[in-house]
Amino acid sequence: MEAPAQGLAVELDNIWKRFPGVIANAGTRLHVKPGSVHAVLGENGAGKTTLMNVLAGMYRPDEGTVRLHGVEQSFAAPADAIAAGVGMVHQEFRLVPTFSVTENVVLGAAPRVLSRSALEDQVAALAERFGLATDPRREVWQLSMGERQRVEILKALWRDARVLILDEPTAVLTPIEADELGRITAAMAADGRSIIFISHKLDEVTAFCDEATVLRGGETVAGNLAVSDLDAGRLAELMVGEATEVSQRRVRTSSPGATVLDVKDLLVVDLHGRHVVDGVSFSIGSGEVLGIAGIAGNGQRPLADALAGLTTSTGSVKSGEHDLSSASPNERHRHGLSYVPEDRIGVGLAPRLSVADNAIMRTYRTDAKGLLIDQEKSAEHAEDLVKRFNVKIADLHSPIAGLSGGNLQRLLVGREVDREPTVLIAAQPTRGLDVQGVAAIQRVLLEQAEAGVAVLLISEDLDELLALSDRLMVMHEGKIVAEFDPDETTRSDVGVAMTGAAHIEGAPS
Amino acid sequence: MRGLRLVRRETPLAGGQLRAVLVGVMIALLIGVVLLVATGNNPFSTYLRMLDSAFGSPRAWSNTLTRAVPLGLAGLAVAVAGSMGLWNIGAEGQIIAGAIGAAWVARLLPDLSGPLLIPLMLLGAVLGGAVLALGPALARARLGVSEIITTLMLNEVAIRIVRYLVNGPWKDPEGNNFPIAPEIPDQAKLPGLFERANIGVLIAALVVGLFGWLVSRSAWGYELRIAGSSERTAEYVGISLRTKILTVLVMSGMFAGLAGGIELTGSASRLVEGVAGGWGFAGIIVAALALMRPSGVAAVAIAFGAVQIGGLAIQTQGVPAAISDILQALILFGALAAAVFGSYRLQRGEPTSATTPAIAEPGAAT
Repeated sequence: MEAPAQGLAVELDNIWKRFPGVIANAGTRLHVKPGSVHAVLGENGAGKTTLMNVLAGMYRPDEGTVRLHGVEQSFAAPADAIAAGVGMVHQEFRLVPTFSVTENVVLGAAPRVLSRSALEDQVAALAERFGLATDPRREVWQLSMGERQRVEILKALWRDARVLILDEPTAVLTPIEADELGRITAAMAADGRSIIFISHKLDEVTAFCDEATVLRGGETVAGNLAVSDLDAGRLAELMVGEATEVSQRRVRTSSPGATVLDVKDLLVVDLHGRHVVDGVSFSIGSGEVLGIAGIAGNGQRPLADALAGLTTSTGSVKSGEHDLSSASPNERHRHGLSYVPEDRIGVGLAPRLSVADNAIMRTYRTDAKGLLIDQEKSAEHAEDLVKRFNVKIADLHSPIAGLSGGNLQRLLVGREVDREPTVLIAAQPTRGLDVQGVAAIQRVLLEQAEAGVAVLLISEDLDELLALSDRLMVMHEGKIVAEFDPDETTRSDVGVAMTGAAHIEGAPS
Repeated sequence: MRGLRLVRRETPLAGGQLRAVLVGVMIALLIGVVLLVATGNNPFSTYLRMLDSAFGSPRAWSNTLTRAVPLGLAGLAVAVAGSMGLWNIGAEGQIIAGAIGAAWVARLLPDLSGPLLIPLMLLGAVLGGAVLALGPALARARLGVSEIITTLMLNEVAIRIVRYLVNGPWKDPEGNNFPIAPEIPDQAKLPGLFERANIGVLIAALVVGLFGWLVSRSAWGYELRIAGSSERTAEYVGISLRTKILTVLVMSGMFAGLAGGIELTGSASRLVEGVAGGWGFAGIIVAALALMRPSGVAAVAIAFGAVQIGGLAIQTQGVPAAISDILQALILFGALAAAVFGSYRLQRGEPTSATTPAIAEPGAAT
């Protein structure tokens, strides 16, 4: 037990927060000094966002204490946290696009009598003070993502936040904007405010932050590390932890079959003009599992979507003899490409439809009786999938929205491999599943590889990747930055590559 | 945030929708008892009269079914769009456009025999509805413009057009200066079926039945339901959303247009400004009560028609028109409010994103 620290801005102690089936925080601790920029690091699912939601009054912790400047707090609503001086900038901005910067900043916290121009002057002065270059009269829809983020920060400062939480603030920024953000956080810290900076990018942490706390599986594995002591290897070790037992292990094929999927110079540009997939090339042979590791948001999702034809891309995608570079999702599927998307419910399945309706998505066209769906065939097909892939359901005809994550994924994966694909793209196929579900899905992936399918496995679970892949590539900021032989590498080597460390040698620290 | 909240049921109450609606209607009728007693009416005989006038005799049935025709077609229009998650708020205008289309055909070909003229008029009606829906359909499919706004605003346009026609070029010279068009020729009127009902009842039943069946059973309807559940899933399966949106909204306009055509040839006999009579907006209620399922529209339309007929009948018995209107509104409100509980339940406590873990984004609980 530590002695109650004097003069800390934020003290979160022994925070527990449980959700059905998930423990998000298990006795998490976070101590932040006034006037410092404090990084909170951790993999996806480490409990960072839940912890911040507790601090911002969005969730009540099941157990634990929240103290601000030594005073214990009990927030019933976000408004209480704001009143206590906590501001949070969420990953998705909460701004009114058709309102001006000033209107957004003062919304809900405007003094009763004050002219618009006086308010604009005050907002401009506040922005000036912290180097938040912005025009208070412009409307938010006209602003870039970086400018919108500054408006969010201004909102918090306007309410005089002494503690400011930035949830993965650089995810939406260009490198230049990110540098500017670093200057802004420094200015706020110099003013005596505390900034909590959530990130999993080592270069930013070393460049912008003073101290760091690392979370893993809802627990604090290291608190108040001085960032000067951090190096990429140590950080990766802390974030990913010891190897956990994986139920499936691949008997690796030393000689994969003929190339089935061949991708060259794949480029995906998002709405903001960023190259989210930036010239990716690889090929997968028959019976081979190619793993793609990477921290969330480094282009894995657009890569998978582009291969499935759901996102426009340039470059070449070939499946065997067929050039699928500009093929529709349907054509790609007809040429043997199956896709288990990361967003199961929003992309791979239709939540309001029944188990039977979801089971026949890939077959209803060929199985139709004229204009009509063949009800008998569809029920048979659904029953077959449910049995073979051990999906637990109440009724074939009730909506799938009530099924658990593991059952949904069994249904989805079962449907995708049922038509004997030649290529299987599986994006985060085991994320959020319980142990049995993970084992079941991994087993299917391996069976597919053994049957000669070329499998592209995109995952954030390093153990899974190391156990299942024949080859392992690491994606960082849209590029393939490293390739490993899973037999001859370690978790921390891959972890280092995931933080992009190989690319930031000599970066400012 | 404490207090009561509506939470989506993980599995909708099996067969509970109907039960919930019946309970809702019962509660409405009980509240109605208070109203009726307070205004000096016998609630028992009043309710009996409502029931009798709607279903008590062939004549009563004919009245109810005649009401149900435009309600059902407008309800189908809204529900077909609704099964794909689209909102056609413009059925009212499309009904007017349908009536204009039918009237136009009758003006152009007044000497054609009935068996030829009536189908052509109904075709004109269908095309009229389609024309009015085409703009919003294209704007939504091509540019993503909200069909709610565009269809809503075109109602006003349709009303202005029919007003212009009946006050201007199509005004009946023998109409004593009323803003009405001349009556359509006798052979252009729909043949009767029984009592006051005409064959419009059969046409509507056929159309509502056929499309209700197609949406629930055909591959086309299946794709519609996928798109209504999640647009990105539809793309994933390889369904062209643009084509779907376009066809569904135009089709929706056609159904409403047909309602206008049947109204003109079957009941109104001449184009007047109020030819749509609010059926288009009532259609939204019908579709909502049918939970946006075209297969449920027919039953709801008949029940809705019965409530209207019953409401009219008790006015002749001395129940004030205002009380009758309140009573009708109560019944609809009770049914609508209750329908919600088939797929939602009340929950006390703090809202968390994790109440339905299966639907929550995988990262939501981190």
